[in-house]
Parts: sequence; structure tokens; C-alpha cells
Amino acid sequence: MSVIAYDVIVIGAGTAGLTAGARLASEGLQVALVTAGEPTACLSTGCIDVCAAGVNPLDGIADLPESHPYHRIAPAAIRDALLNFQRQCAGLHLPYTGAPDQNRLVLSAIGTFKTSCLVPVTMRSSPQNEEEKIHIVTFAGLKDFYPGYILSRLRNAAFSTYDAGVSTTMGIAANFEDDTFLEAFILWLEKLNLRENKIAFPAVLGLESAAAIVDTLEQRLERPVFEIPTIPPSMPGRRLFNVLKDHFRRQGGVIYWNWPVVGVEKAGRQIEAVRLESQGRPMSLNARAFILATGSFVGGGLSARRETIIEKVFDLPVFVPGTREDWFEQDYFSRNHGIGRAGIAADAAFRPDGCPWDNIFACGAILAHVEALKNGCGHGFAIATGEAAARSCLEYLR
Amino acid sequence: MKFEHCIRCTICVENCPVFRVNPAFPGPKQAGPDAERFRSDREKSVDDWVLLCSQCKRCEMACPCGVEPAQIILRAQQRYGREHPHTAAHLLFANNYYLSTLGSLTAPVANRFAATKIGKRIFRRMGIATYIPFPRFSFRTLRGEKKSISRGNRKVAFFYGCFINFYRPDIGRKIIRLLQSFKIDVVLPPQWCCGLPALGNGNLELARSFARKNVASLSNYIDAGYEVVYTCTSCGLCLLHDYQGIMDIPEAKKIAENSYDLHEYLLRLIAGKEIRPKFQEVHRTLAYHIPCHLRALKIGYPAAELMQRIPDLECRILDDACCGLNGSYGFKKINETTAVQLGSRAVSLISKTGAEAIVADCGSCRMQLGGLSGMASYDPAEILCEALGIRDKKQMK
Repeated sequence: MSVIAYDVIVIGAGTAGLTAGARLASEGLQVALVTAGEPTACLSTGCIDVCAAGVNPLDGIADLPESHPYHRIAPAAIRDALLNFQRQCAGLHLPYTGAPDQNRLVLSAIGTFKTSCLVPVTMRSSPQNEEEKIHIVTFAGLKDFYPGYILSRLRNAAFSTYDAGVSTTMGIAANFEDDTFLEAFILWLEKLNLRENKIAFPAVLGLESAAAIVDTLEQRLERPVFEIPTIPPSMPGRRLFNVLKDHFRRQGGVIYWNWPVVGVEKAGRQIEAVRLESQGRPMSLNARAFILATGSFVGGGLSARRETIIEKVFDLPVFVPGTREDWFEQDYFSRNHGIGRAGIAADAAFRPDGCPWDNIFACGAILAHVEALKNGCGHGFAIATGEAAARSCLEYLR
Repeated sequence: MKFEHCIRCTICVENCPVFRVNPAFPGPKQAGPDAERFRSDREKSVDDWVLLCSQCKRCEMACPCGVEPAQIILRAQQRYGREHPHTAAHLLFANNYYLSTLGSLTAPVANRFAATKIGKRIFRRMGIATYIPFPRFSFRTLRGEKKSISRGNRKVAFFYGCFINFYRPDIGRKIIRLLQSFKIDVVLPPQWCCGLPALGNGNLELARSFARKNVASLSNYIDAGYEVVYTCTSCGLCLLHDYQGIMDIPEAKKIAENSYDLHEYLLRLIAGKEIRPKFQEVHRTLAYHIPCHLRALKIGYPAAELMQRIPDLECRILDDACCGLNGSYGFKKINETTAVQLGSRAVSLISKTGAEAIVADCGSCRMQLGGLSGMASYDPAEILCEALGIRDKKQMK
């Protein structure tokens, strides 16, 4: 039987892949996205880190080493990509606050501050210094959030505990979607007569309606409230994923779940199809171009062997930072591990260097020299390169 | 079954509908890969909560590491079923095929009885939930249809499934007409329940006996040049994956290699330029609820792609919520609260879209969402028929 064909197949459902896919679909192309599973974006804080250096992340980018792939994109294009992302999210009931040229801080679950740029509206009022008077409300039995960590660092913080009837992030978030639960919770909060200026919650304030729930809480309690991102399961990460996915769909994109690519079909300088291993008949999908957005090690795009590193879909040449001794620092928590530079080196059109095929474009964390941890450039980098790779792909197809 | 590949990232937990609302279920990570390392062949299985898994397979779709939590739990469920007595509800639903055969033969009486107070009380006494009406048996099943040949290039053996056969044969007849309108021959091969209800109720042997009969029958048709087309996504998943997997049926690979979802089949024919459907405008705003088992088929959302081609049709895709019914799962009283909570969430997401009606490939999803929302619900094939001007002539009313 005939194989189903698309204009473009995106491999990977993370921030980069969904951004690239949505851009291509919005230009009228038939786009399918295949993914092995859900992306690491679901495990993230949902914050859009662009570049942690500098007050203005765009200035910070200018100071990054020449090899950093950010330099393949014009600063104006990076700003546009971020503004575009903000517009999309606002239209889908998950507004992001902040501006692309302004970094800000977000209070973490261990009481430290993380530098980010665009943050979900539910973290809008996250404190910018250790002196702020905040009251943390946590939930009985919730094992993934300990206010004690924050109290040990913020001396003007206090906390209370609410019994939500359930003790898991997912369960509490599901309860918050129920108006009766929310009302009872607000009544309880009002009776506490809190004196602090701001009220903080672990990020469990609903899934679909988080922005509206935060609004309601602020109105009723007459002061700013904010969420503190937790360890996974992470509601802010999932909300971000849902919004990106929804936007991609609305542009006409199609998603194939649980579709790890195990083989490719090629002819000359073209990849023609990707293949899924399946118990029954072989499943393959054809396309004129492919976007590789499979992420780095945790995302599953790269895999380290004893002495080398491989790219798992097309077996593309990988930039390996020295020998194995150079991959890791002694300090486990260092942000400077050499392996952070591993990945696919790409040219100005986001075509992989040394790639034997003309119709592959790479974006997101799989790119070489990103050093996302050290440079604090996670989702922001994914959004910017996703848009850029999509533009190159579009030019190629036209 | 690669439970050692689990990195405990909790993405499966985030996707588990049951875990969201039922604290008694420890979630796919704990019930699957975590508990698996403590399950020993020499000890009797004690974890009755494995039965709370609805087998929606959302955990497997989400896992980035190729672990199959639902599959691990399914095997634990079968073992629990072997080692413990079955409840009345489990026995009845496992044998749903025979029960429905009886129900259809006595449809006027059976339907009336099921709707009475006494009928409902008896159901509840047996552990069967009655929060949505039981589907109505159709006296005239699809099985009795005469063969009709349209002398086309392609030959289809239609695996219609129990829901269409016993409850909505009108949809089955529309699908036959839809295929025939493209000059495709359609036959209705001898067929039985796919076996999934038996599997889902811990009765692997009964499931196997259904599977063997189906494989023998369909295999003959495949040898004669037919392609198998199924329309129920859960039947499809069972034919493609469970026959080769947990049921371990010889020759199952042949069935998997030659079976297609109805909409996937049409899309492939369109891709090969064998058919060129001319869809007329359909002025509707629909919410397309993606059945969990359609996701699990790994074929994308082919009906969505077809409906995208219908002029004026507004179709919003919703795939984040499980309807909660999961075949017979929600009909068991022990799961009733879970099923109602999940169903209500799915309905609230649907109503936010402002759609006038629901579309879903799966009969049990339609039953649940239609029952809880009071909205009309359609099979995507019905929408395609509407766009192509195809009606079921035999439809009564």
C-alpha cells in the first residue's frame, strides 16, 4: 500500500521541534511530528531561559563564545521568536510575563534564585530578593516540596500546610480544577489572616486553568500570589508542553506518538522516509525535508559510548569535546562539564556539518556548543533555533 | 517489558488518568517498573490495585525510554486473575460477546429490562455501574448483512467489532457504503469478539480462544487477497499488538501486516492516488476526542487528517483527556467514581471548545461522553459519509 507523505517531518516533540513544526505548518506545509515519547520540556520549570548572563539576555548572547549556535541567528530574529512565543501563549490562556531583553529571577524549590527571562504568569510575582516577606502554603503529605529549604534561606518567610485530601502533585492539581475545592481552599486561606505581602504555593495550582486560578487567588486575597516550580512531576512544564502542542495542532500539524525512528530510507543526497520498528507491517512516513529536534542526552537525541558519542536517528557526525577524560569535571554539580558542548555542529542554515544529505535541519538541545546549564539558555534557545531551522527548511523547500 | 530502562522521570505518572483522580492506584511507575522487580514467580500476587489500571496505555505513549508500564501491569493483572476468584462483573464483561449475542436476539425485552429500576438494581448488585445508560442492543446485527460486491480493485474484509455489530449496526452499514463508494469490495468475514474485554478482565485463556478463531478466519481472507479493515481502535490495537504480544498467537504477524484502521486505509489510498474523494461542505463545529487506543496504534490521527479536507468543517482535536470508560472498566462499580471524574473532565474540556457535537472513533468513548454531556456524538466515518452524501438506507427512524 502507498506510504503516507508529508512536506516535512519533525522528529522530537520538545520546545524546538514543536516550534519549528508550528512555523512550517503555519506556512501551509503538511507537517507531521514523530516522537519517541514526551519531551524533557514536561519535566522543566516551564520558564523560558534565554541566556543567564547579563541584565539583558540578548547582550549576554553577544558575549557567548563564537562557536555558540546562537550566533547563527540575528539578534532581531531571536527577539521576534520570543515575542511570537509570548503572543501564542497569551492566545492559549497561558500568558508569559517579561520581555526578551530583560532577565529576571525565579525562586526555586530549594530557596535559591534561578535566572530566567519569560516566565509563566503564575510566577509573575516570584520575589527578586531574599528579603521579601512571603508566606508559603504547602500541602499535607506532598513529598515533592519542602518549604524548610526556602525558610532556611529567606528569613522573612513563613509557611502553613493545607490538607487537600490527596498528596500528589497530579492529584492536588486535579483538585484545583474543581471550583468547590478552590472555594474551600480560599476560605481556609482567608481565615489564616496572613500578614505577609505575597503568598507562595508549590506549582500545583491546576493544569488547564492555572492562570485563571492565580487570578482568582490574587483577587480574593488582595495581594500577589505566585507558584514555585517543583521537581517532576512538574505542572508548569506540562502546561508549556500542552500549549506548544495545541498551537502546533491549530496550525494543522499531526503528531505520531510513541514513534522512535529506527531506520531511514535514502536516495542520493536526500532522506526520503523515516521508519518505525513495529510488530506488524513496517511503518514508514515520507517527507521532502526533516527537522531533527531530538534533544541531547536526557532527551534521547545523543547517546554516549565508551569513547565516542552518537546521534541516534541519522547517525550524523557528532562534535565530541575531547577524550572521555575531558567530558566531566570532578565536581558533579559543576555547570562546566565538557560534555555539555557535545552535539551536532551546524552551519548558518542549521544544516548539520558533514551531513551527507541536503534535506535535514537541526535545532534545539542536540546542537553542539550550547552548554545549556552553564549559559542558562534552555527553552529560549530551543524557540530561537526552532524558528530559525524552520525558516531555512522553508527556503529549501521553495 | 524493559522495566530496567525506567529512569523514574515521572512522565508516565503525569499522563496517567487514573492516578490523577484515584489515590488508591499508585500510578504506572510504581505499579509497573517499580513493583515489577518485587514480583516473584514463587509468591502469590497480592497487589489488588493492579486491577485499577484501565489499560489506556497513555503511560506507554509518553515514556521516552521505551518502558511499557501498561504492558507490565497487564501481565500482573492476568496473573492476579489466575490466582484469585473473579467477581461477577469481571466474568460478565469478559464474556461480553456471548452476552451481547443473547442481548441482541432478545433486544426488545433486554433493552427494556436494562432501563428499568429493577434491572439497574440488579446490575448494581452485581457490581456494575449504571451512571450512564447501558448501550441498547440492536435486534438486527451487522453480522446478518448480505455480501455485496462492487467489483473494485481493492478487497476489504471488514472487522467491525462488537460495538458496531450489537449496538450500532447502522454505522457499520454506512462504513460499508463508504468503502463501496470508492469501488472497494467489502465482505464481512466470520468473526468473534477481538478478545480485549476478556483480556481486560483477567481472562487470558478466553481472550486467546477468541483470537485463535479470528486469526484463522481473517487469515483465509488475507490469502485470498483481502486487506483487513477495522474501525474500532481498541479491536485494532488488540489485532495488531496483543495477538502477537501477550496472547502469543501463531500467524498473528500476518494479521498485523495486513490490517488497517479505516481512516488510515483511506488516507493511504488517497496518497497512492487510487481514490479521490470529493468532500462537500459540512457546516459543523466538532470536538474530536482522540481515543486513548488510537494514540496507541502509532498511526497518527488519520480521521483528523481526512476531516481536515472537508470544507467548512471546524474540528478541534482533544487528546489530553481519557474519557474514563475504557470499555468495561468504568462499568464496574469499583471504578465508577474514577470513570465519572475523568469523563466530567473530558466533557468540560470539550465544552470549552464551543463545539456542537463530539466525534470519536471509539464507541465506548462516545457512549461515555455523549452520556455525560448530553451532546450528540458521531463516529468520524459518519462525518465523512455526511460530506460525501452517503446515507444508511436501512436505518430505521
